[in-house]
Amino acid sequence: MNSKKNDLKSLELTVGDVFSKNARLKARNVNVFYGENKAIDNVTIDIGSKEVISFIGPSGCGKSTFLRCFNRMNDTIVSCIIQGEITIDEENIYDKKIDVVPLRARIGMVFQKPNPFPKSIYDNVAYGPRIHGLSENKEHLDNIVEESLKRAGLWQEVSDRLSSPGTGLSGGQQQRLCIARAIAVSPEVILMDEPCSALDPIATAKIEELIHELGNEYSIVIVTHSMQQAARVSKRTAYFHLGKLIEVGKTKEIFTRPQHNQTEAYISGKIG
Amino acid sequence: MFNFYLLIVILLISFIFFFLGLKEAKKLKLVHKNSLHSLPHYYGLYALLASLLPSLGIYFLMTIGDDFLFSNMIKSYIPDEVTNAKNYNFLIALAQINNSVEGLIFGTPPQWVTNAAEVWKSWVQTSNIIIVSLCLLTSLVSGYYGFLKINENFRSRNAVEKIIMTLLAASSVIAIFTTIAIIFSIVFESVRFFALIPIDEFLFGTVWNPQFEGAERAGSGQQGLSQYGAIPLFAGTFLISFIALCVAVPVGLFSAIYLSEYASSKERAFFKPLLEILAGVPTVVYGFFAALTVAPFLRSSGSILGLDVASESALAAGLVMGIMIIPFVSSLSDDVINAVPQSLRDAGYGLGSTKNETVLKIVLPAALPGVVASIILAVSRAVGETMIVVMAAGLAANLTANPLEAVTTVTSQIVTILVGDQEFESAKTLSAFALALTLIIITLCMNFYALHVVKKYREQYD
Repeated sequence: MNSKKNDLKSLELTVGDVFSKNARLKARNVNVFYGENKAIDNVTIDIGSKEVISFIGPSGCGKSTFLRCFNRMNDTIVSCIIQGEITIDEENIYDKKIDVVPLRARIGMVFQKPNPFPKSIYDNVAYGPRIHGLSENKEHLDNIVEESLKRAGLWQEVSDRLSSPGTGLSGGQQQRLCIARAIAVSPEVILMDEPCSALDPIATAKIEELIHELGNEYSIVIVTHSMQQAARVSKRTAYFHLGKLIEVGKTKEIFTRPQHNQTEAYISGKIG
Repeated sequence: MFNFYLLIVILLISFIFFFLGLKEAKKLKLVHKNSLHSLPHYYGLYALLASLLPSLGIYFLMTIGDDFLFSNMIKSYIPDEVTNAKNYNFLIALAQINNSVEGLIFGTPPQWVTNAAEVWKSWVQTSNIIIVSLCLLTSLVSGYYGFLKINENFRSRNAVEKIIMTLLAASSVIAIFTTIAIIFSIVFESVRFFALIPIDEFLFGTVWNPQFEGAERAGSGQQGLSQYGAIPLFAGTFLISFIALCVAVPVGLFSAIYLSEYASSKERAFFKPLLEILAGVPTVVYGFFAALTVAPFLRSSGSILGLDVASESALAAGLVMGIMIIPFVSSLSDDVINAVPQSLRDAGYGLGSTKNETVLKIVLPAALPGVVASIILAVSRAVGETMIVVMAAGLAANLTANPLEAVTTVTSQIVTILVGDQEFESAKTLSAFALALTLIIITLCMNFYALHVVKKYREQYD
């Protein structure tokens, strides 16, 4: 760890291919400050269409902060300042003309801890479509709810008790309910902030399977602490360290032949 | 003063035992090479408590007990011609003797009083000697007993923990017993009231007129002129409380939402204490604000609109009471709204809710049980409020739903009945206790219900 400073000085550019051919989200030279503190330092990366990409890195490396830039969740933090440019389909999401409400409908989010609303299972899923006015009538709404629950792999377990509270489900079921809630507004991108860190291995396996399937329809960005999880679910992997994006590449290559010595150190368990 | 010195001496003795115990324990520690069960100061503390508590107990028992004893013993010193007199009352005779003992002598007291006072004084002296010697002896003996118990195997830490736990439990029992005692005293007086007035007349009667104590109710077969129907009082109470809630619930709830969801931390730090100052204003101040400012204002603005507003209207009292209970609603609601986990708000924002949607559709429903409980607590506060209604609501027991008329409340009736000289045998005075009992039952039920609501819905989130 003593060599950290020297390593950082020598590190100016991200190693690997940050660009993507059919990019949906583009981040260019993004800096994030919390007050005086620089949390993200000059990060540039593309996130492709229908691609599952995972962000890995030691705790406090800024991967969650960076993730929350994509749907402007950092707006709620007063001292947070974001520089640079992030675009979705070539539209700058930090442009003054952009309204965050439809933006967040396009970019869904699943949180670390399952956080279903203290409402019924049905109302949890129907919440998004209702506030965005996506359904024409009750029947249509029913369809959206059923479809979302089916895609989240929860329909079979809850179809007979849609009116019971969502908080009564098990942790894994709650997290799948949150995923169903996110996809009910048909987003284009789903951001997942350590979605399995509060779950047991069986529930984790189910969520990972789900991510795998959803990857065929949505762009998914998943922040994870588990390198095995990153290896299992994602095609691309980005390694963050102290606010910098160190290396991006195909997951297989990152885990078998990391090019940067820091990535290698993290993957082999020397730091983090 | 004498008792004060005695207490100081007892305290000093127990401190001496503390240091003796501490020293002994330290010695034991050296001898037994650190195999002592507890830390040395626990042994000292045990010796201190062993010396202090029994002697304090004896002291308080005896100082309370000797008055009882003396007043029974003095009976034989009151001459027969006094006790046989028609208007003899032992308590008055006792008061005469006590006054004489205290040196409060008005005129020339009868000879028997002076004699009895002399006897009483001698008793006090004897009892003082007994108390002093017994307390000092107890503190020395029990302290020494505690000191003797100190050895390397004695678990003084556990013993001290147990004693302290007992002390804490005893304190909580005092509070509970006081409440029970208050309720019982009210129940007994109410029973006496209901012996004079049938309970159904009290609970369902629509006329409250205790002013004239007519012919005796029982015996003569004649109806009294006074009537004790409590419905107008409770109707007035609930009318005023309802008006108060109409003010306090929206204002309190909205300010709670603003403070917890919208205000910056600076604004919050400024406004929240300011709002809580409202809770610190004495109710009597609200009372004259209601009587001298709000009521005349309502009256004059009513006359502009062609409405006839009584100078002591339910509206004035209710409005001011509403302002008084705003902090109860806002402060508690603010706490429950703050307790809603941030993750729920994040989930709402993550789905693209606006701030308003998040507050209305996610935060408030999640906080609802707590908000409801805070409102119920505010209601029981409003129902029990006295000073404002005494000053602003008037005393006319009208049964009306018109807020512009004067009404009276349960609490202000209790005050008027019990203020001044009262005959404690009359139905009028006793009716205050029956009113108080009914009021206690109502507010108790509401508080229980509030707790139940909070409990029932608490597990719904997090």
